[in-house]
Amino acid sequence: MNPPIVIVAEHEAGKVRPVTYELLAFAKKLCRIKSATVKVLVLGNDVHAIADDIARSCGKDVISVQVPGLMGYNAEAYRLVLDTEIRELRPAYVCISHSTQGIDFAPAVAAKLGAGCISGVEDLFETDDKICFIRSIYGGKILAHAVCRADTTVLTIQPGIFKLAEAEMVSPGVVEKKTAAFSFRQSRSMGIKKSEADTSRITEAKVVVAAGNGIRTEENLDLIHQMAALFPRSAVAGSRIVCDLGWLAYNQQVGVTGATVTPELYIACGISGATQHVQGMRGSGFIVSINTDPSAAIFKVSDVCVVEDLTAFIPILIETFEKFKNKSI
Amino acid sequence: MKILICIKQVPDTESAHVVDETTGEIKIEDLAEFKMNRYDEFVVEEAVQIKESYPETVIDAISVGPERSADVIRRAIGMGADNGIHIETESDDYLSPSVISSWVANYARDLNYTLILAGAISEDMMHGQVGPMIAAHLEMPCASSVIFEQLSIQNGTVYVEREIEGGNRDTIELRLPAVLSLQSGINRPRYPVLSKLLKANKQKLEIIDAASLPYPKYPEDMVDMTLPRQSRAGKILEGTPEEKAGQLLNILLEKALIQ
Repeated sequence: MNPPIVIVAEHEAGKVRPVTYELLAFAKKLCRIKSATVKVLVLGNDVHAIADDIARSCGKDVISVQVPGLMGYNAEAYRLVLDTEIRELRPAYVCISHSTQGIDFAPAVAAKLGAGCISGVEDLFETDDKICFIRSIYGGKILAHAVCRADTTVLTIQPGIFKLAEAEMVSPGVVEKKTAAFSFRQSRSMGIKKSEADTSRITEAKVVVAAGNGIRTEENLDLIHQMAALFPRSAVAGSRIVCDLGWLAYNQQVGVTGATVTPELYIACGISGATQHVQGMRGSGFIVSINTDPSAAIFKVSDVCVVEDLTAFIPILIETFEKFKNKSI
Repeated sequence: MKILICIKQVPDTESAHVVDETTGEIKIEDLAEFKMNRYDEFVVEEAVQIKESYPETVIDAISVGPERSADVIRRAIGMGADNGIHIETESDDYLSPSVISSWVANYARDLNYTLILAGAISEDMMHGQVGPMIAAHLEMPCASSVIFEQLSIQNGTVYVEREIEGGNRDTIELRLPAVLSLQSGINRPRYPVLSKLLKANKQKLEIIDAASLPYPKYPEDMVDMTLPRQSRAGKILEGTPEEKAGQLLNILLEKALIQ
């Protein structure tokens, strides 16, 4: 029998996070290449009910590890408890979400086990008896094909890509309930501080005009504001780098660590299109991108691509739009 | 207090295109300009700010890579690091984070660092593994995507805020020594000072031959590179800028996105 595939469930406030089901969908695809038993690991202070939920909805066996005192997520607890569990299971693959939680503990778990580690997996395929995992590099401009010959490989799976088909009728999996002996020695979780940034301006706008590093200077933000002014109910947003520079406020940031926006029209100006940004805007109705680099990753998720320098192009665009407006009045 | 900062030299893909416009081929090998990984500029700055609060601090900057990587070590010294360590590789070949982290951990093991800082990810390979892996090798606590840190030397702890989804923050206190991987935006990195850069150019770096170090068994490897698929229409407008603006206007009118 092939070694199993282990999934580490993600949960919050007593509920399974949807990414957990994405991991199951990913594991299903992996099993088509190399059949294996899929087991789900869930850990936390009071997780047996969550474990029952998962076993019922997906039909997989679940190992529910009660960790006294582990109220939310804590890297130290995850590292140590997972190390013990994974050593026992000897899986070929450990699938973890490429969320801010997953990226925090997955590499450490791999290093401790002497396992391989592949981050941000977006797809997989079989070639010459090997399984190749696809991941973004160079800000999403290029895809790398990664392989690993280790007995165990830890994978972090990019969220939002793998979706389970409609719920199948399955017989519930078996839940193994246990308690881990663990005490915090190196760290103390002090809770989640909710973001006070009010992102409603950009999340409620019908048109979002977003600036990226390609605007080069803070003064060029004027162009972005002028363009936004062409549209009613519009807002100016930016990529992380523009907010890091202090040119826009963090409540204008689109991306994983900022806001997720779904306007009717998204105009990306000088945005490279790194995964962290794209995850926050790919649900937009229509996407137009302006960038000097024809290989910019943003063009891959755009409906219309304009390969131009935005400082030259935006004034021309504004003029064209205004001429049209004056004519129609 | 001793701080180890992990920095990486990456190709400057802002100034050069990674895909050949005419052939559509990937030309990473031809990129000739290199720079310090953007995330690592925040790492150097954070260490220098700590040194400003605790003047007795010594900052060691370490980098793994071919000969040219020495440039970013010298840049770190120009920004305020004290010493440079270069684990020099013979070739430019891809190195897995498993390898890099085991070498850095190997170097740091007996040197009593209070803090080890790394960037959240590298701009080129984008793994984000090196920081947490070093921590695992050295049995130190670790926090990634750190957007705020506050040392408490008296208590032997560091308070950190990790940036999580939606801009929320997970707050943790870690026992020192600890490893932090820093999120961009934690500070405003300074420019190197010319006088320090000149000094850095004369300063001797500690060179370690990578070939002399143990190589981990079966790290992941990169076997190929391809271009991503187009997930939307990706219509490329042709013509003069004026023609493109006209076409864009028409498309938006057709889609009723402007009235």
